Amino acid sequence: MSRECLGFAPMLSARPGELGAADEEALRRHLAGCDACQARLADGAAAAGLVAEGLLAAAARVDLAPLADEVMARVGRRGLAGALRWLARHRAVAAATALAPAALALGLVLYFGGEADVAPLAGEVEVVAEGFAPVVLTGEEGPVVLLGEAAEGS
Amino acid sequence: MEADDLSLVARARAGEGEAFRVLVVRYQRKVYAVALGIVKDRDQAWDVAQEAFVRVHRGLDGFKGESSFSTWVLRIATHIAIDQVRHERASRRESVDEVRESDLGGAGDGILATSLGADPHANALRRELLGKIEEALAALPAQHRTILVLRELEGLSYEELAVRLEIPKGTVMSRLFHARKKMQALLRGYAGLGGDAGGPKDPQEEEGP
Repeated sequence: MSRECLGFAPMLSARPGELGAADEEALRRHLAGCDACQARLADGAAAAGLVAEGLLAAAARVDLAPLADEVMARVGRRGLAGALRWLARHRAVAAATALAPAALALGLVLYFGGEADVAPLAGEVEVVAEGFAPVVLTGEEGPVVLLGEAAEGS
Repeated sequence: MEADDLSLVARARAGEGEAFRVLVVRYQRKVYAVALGIVKDRDQAWDVAQEAFVRVHRGLDGFKGESSFSTWVLRIATHIAIDQVRHERASRRESVDEVRESDLGGAGDGILATSLGADPHANALRRELLGKIEEALAALPAQHRTILVLRELEGLSYEELAVRLEIPKGTVMSRLFHARKKMQALLRGYAGLGGDAGGPKDPQEEEGP
């Protein structure tokens, strides 16, 4: 081993093209005359792929099926949260969405309210039927029917 | 026929959850393996893998396909894993990066190559050592685990490693040298060829990537 090895040893794991042309040539010349670095190079080549293969084998021994379920569950929650964030960013849409039920209700009131104007209930109407005398009162809240016993002879 | 990654990404982006699930299942093993190599704890690796896929889903709209989907997923996973081990610090940074004469005095150089033989895939010792990789990586400092995993499993080049780890290319080379040398010493030990397997490690060498 020479002190030269200090400089060349870190180059031993380089892939083709990773070193500059000058370094590649210098390494080639050094390897030709250095048994220690040749041995290191051979060790590196022999162990190549062990880390990747070993880790993938370790991962293969783990049941990863629940991982996808957990991810999808989190992603689903994020989908809802994302929709809310989107609405927050698009306030006009959010406002329109929030006001939609109120607008619908207002529309219904105007529509049906118009019909009510055609035949408004006013005052007090008494209807007698089968022994009962329902009294229909019309107030601000709408018609109210009161049931009472009909008077004798009516 | 299996859908390709980009079409699955497009479908997932359009809100098709099942398309995203296919991508998760397709890459979860590799993502988990990368995470395991870096964080060295199975539960932590699981969490890293899960978080990586969630972030990937969150970033689908920004994925332009400039790199492959697998490269993108693994990059996110390694970032998360590296963040997880950043707290592993040491006072002697030079111990993981500098190459000194004492680092080259390994009497065992060449033994591994001889024992593993010319046809590594047909070698029983190699199969035995594959089962020890997780344990061996766990015995390495975080910086060494990380660079080995990125190099071996992700296949990053020196330049890509320099960018990913934010270190100069020269540091990449010397750190890889140390990482490989320690890994080989551990493997020699497991194989009964003399080495460091099971031996106490220098706690001062533990440091973040």
